[in-house]
Amino acid sequence: MRKNYWKKLLVSMTLVASMLIGVAGCGGDTTGDATPTQGATSGETTNDKKDDTAKKDPVKVDPVNVFGDYYVTTDNITLTYWHYEDQGMADRMCEAFMELYPNITVENKVISDMSTDLSAAAAAGTFPDVFEGTDSDTALANMYWADITEYWNADPENKNLMPTIDEYGIGMFDTSVRFAAPMRYWPSAIFIDRNVIETLNLDMPRTDWTWEEMIQLIKDATQYDPDMQYFGLGYYNRLDSLYGIAAVSKDVRQIKGEFGFNGEDFDLQYWAIGEQQFSDLKLAGYVAPQQSTQEMEDWTGDWDTWFGATGRVAVFSEGFWTYQNLWGVEGYQEQYGLDIVPYVTPNVIDEKEHNVISTMYMGGVSTSCKYPLEAYLLLKFMGWGIDGWKVRNEIYADTTITNDSGTPLKNAQMPVPLTLDETVWAGYKALFPQDEDRKPYWDDYFASITRPVPYGWYNIAGYWNFCDQYFNSIGIHDLVDNGTAKAADYTEEATRQANYYHADAMITYFGPSGYNVLSDAELAKYQAVVDSFLN
Amino acid sequence: MSKKEKKQKKPKIKVGKLEKREARAGYFFTLPWVIGVVAFLLVPLCQSFKFMWYNIRITPNGMIFNPVGIGNFANIWHEDPEFPQQIVTYIWQTCLEVPIIIVFALMIAIMLNGKIKMRAFFRLIFFLPVIIVSGPVMNMLVSEGAATIPSMNVQSIVAAFDVFFPTSVANSIGEMFSNMIMTLWYSGVQILIFLSALQKVDPALYEAAKIDGGSGWECFWKITLPTMKPMILLNAVYTVIFLSSNEQNVLITMIESAMFSGTKEKGYGYASAMAWMYALVITLIVGLFALMLGSKKDVYDKKAKKFKKLQKKEERIKKRVIRRGERHAKKVARNKHKYTTYDGSGDY
Repeated sequence: MRKNYWKKLLVSMTLVASMLIGVAGCGGDTTGDATPTQGATSGETTNDKKDDTAKKDPVKVDPVNVFGDYYVTTDNITLTYWHYEDQGMADRMCEAFMELYPNITVENKVISDMSTDLSAAAAAGTFPDVFEGTDSDTALANMYWADITEYWNADPENKNLMPTIDEYGIGMFDTSVRFAAPMRYWPSAIFIDRNVIETLNLDMPRTDWTWEEMIQLIKDATQYDPDMQYFGLGYYNRLDSLYGIAAVSKDVRQIKGEFGFNGEDFDLQYWAIGEQQFSDLKLAGYVAPQQSTQEMEDWTGDWDTWFGATGRVAVFSEGFWTYQNLWGVEGYQEQYGLDIVPYVTPNVIDEKEHNVISTMYMGGVSTSCKYPLEAYLLLKFMGWGIDGWKVRNEIYADTTITNDSGTPLKNAQMPVPLTLDETVWAGYKALFPQDEDRKPYWDDYFASITRPVPYGWYNIAGYWNFCDQYFNSIGIHDLVDNGTAKAADYTEEATRQANYYHADAMITYFGPSGYNVLSDAELAKYQAVVDSFLN
Repeated sequence: MSKKEKKQKKPKIKVGKLEKREARAGYFFTLPWVIGVVAFLLVPLCQSFKFMWYNIRITPNGMIFNPVGIGNFANIWHEDPEFPQQIVTYIWQTCLEVPIIIVFALMIAIMLNGKIKMRAFFRLIFFLPVIIVSGPVMNMLVSEGAATIPSMNVQSIVAAFDVFFPTSVANSIGEMFSNMIMTLWYSGVQILIFLSALQKVDPALYEAAKIDGGSGWECFWKITLPTMKPMILLNAVYTVIFLSSNEQNVLITMIESAMFSGTKEKGYGYASAMAWMYALVITLIVGLFALMLGSKKDVYDKKAKKFKKLQKKEERIKKRVIRRGERHAKKVARNKHKYTTYDGSGDY
């Protein structure tokens, strides 16, 4: 009995000890991670922290005038930067920034999921000073982004950015305040496989082609072949998104975003035409099957084949990164018998200069940051700044610099510069094919992408709520794509819903319960939209 | 003697040293759980109860609480059709899967308890899935289709059940068949619990039953199953909780995604309301199983109780007869000499 007692006691003590060690371990980790981050978030100077001063010798610098009357702090500070960049690239960029401002330490982290990571950080009091996001609704609804208008306006470098950024107020969300800035930009792109065009005895289209010419090419290039069918179009980006931006002359409607958004309200009639046209192409068999589908297996005999590697598709509606990450990788095109060149997203009307729909991550300085000027400089360096892009170009040009997967950094989600600075662009263009045969295509393409318009979720308040709770919840794309409904059937109701969600979000985000930056007239205008919808 | 006196005179039993030690050991064993509850559960539990009445915005500078009353519940039921649908599916699936897991675990435990070669090895094999399903490995296996039986035509099964049951029920049954392998993989811990219970059944009972000519089948129904009944309830509760909180559960994913959703309608408040509704449903299911499998007194206890009751009744009647007799005797004594006969000779 006595022996049993001691045995029980020993087991129970061990369990308790292991539990306590676990608890203590958790506490230790939290303290270890949180202290520097919290310090950084709150913007406390590192002079107060023994650990940080031990790591980094105190640096004495003279105040640096960055622009206007703005001087960078001389304190040793730490800024935290959360992003979607390749970790290797971000580390190098942070090092370059710290060389430029020796008294500033930058800690960076890759965001795995914006909502989850940032909500958890906000709840834990470890919010980053600077971050980029893929969903502006989340950032605005929770007031993550601080007002950076004064820095933006005072910074002369911002006068030489792509014109739509200021013209359409990208990052201002239809207010007079700049909450965010475009950080990284990937324009949509149409690519053409010249080998397919040649095999099918078709003519290459002119580079300033129109929408109708593109549709005709897609139809012409869809041909039966006993070995393997040719398809006119392979898509990642749906054509309706491209059409919605390219459809209208600015004299008719100044479209600043998806679904015919002009800065005040939506008009989905332009989207509906593109949606229906795309659906008709799919139903008529002009569009190549997607990866991991039965149709793909029937076509190629392999479930996992990607249409872009078949050599049987003429036109691709792809993300810009597809070229850099796949087709641009050395030996890839030769392996699959491809000859890919970029094309401008065609305009419906034959205008030379037009907008291009784009993926555009927005970045901002957080409302909890105590060094907003320094954080703004970091934001600019990592995003659109000339200094940052010069560093980027050097890193991208050196193909020996690779990420953890062994991929050269220029083949790992390389974005497009947002500045129009010629030095930056000269370095950037040099990263693309320079042979006489292909270079003109790239030059034409780059010349055509200077008027970006971001997808809705980057720049329109309430856009994601509309998609989540109306558009996607009833599955409009699927209904139109499989022919059970016509896009035009949804135009009126979808416009009404989109306007409501936008107006409601504007009141919530920028009204008295949010940033409180709207005038009474603006509030009344949005309230009228909400009221008319609810009644 | 009054009731009070009786109570006072009740002998006080002093707790022995052994009992005290055992109690201490018991407290030590439960201490990790108590610490866990106090440190990690109690505060979030109370917080989530508070949160569900608010719309919460988590800004970098702190939380903004906007009281909405039952607004979060209304939103869930009116504007988020997926959650109620998933709750219904979850109820059906749990009610179907729990009996399957329990029966399967019991069968395997009985087999593993028998005298077979490499018994320890087989016990290990059946416990291994517990380690696998508790981590992200299971998610990878499921995504590779390892949870299904490839040759099973689930669509035909759904179509067959659709004739007799509502579509939601038929779909739940179909879902269960398509995840059959995974369901069976969830039986590891239950097998272990049954096995330990089986090993505690007194072999003398089986021996006595066999001497009386009881077959294996009869022994199972009359000895094994009644002895295992508390363990069946324990395993049923464990299985419900496991199915309700594992990574494969869609509702958990929905609550988590609502919690971290940055949209103005969702967030911590909305997710808390979801979680409390879900917790209520789980409690009801656990209650249902507890009602079905909870310990009912066995037939021998019932008979013994009935017999005792009868005995008490007989005693009461006996006492009453005695009391009546005594009363009657007293009455007779009192009336003695009171009445005389006509002839004056004496008593009646």
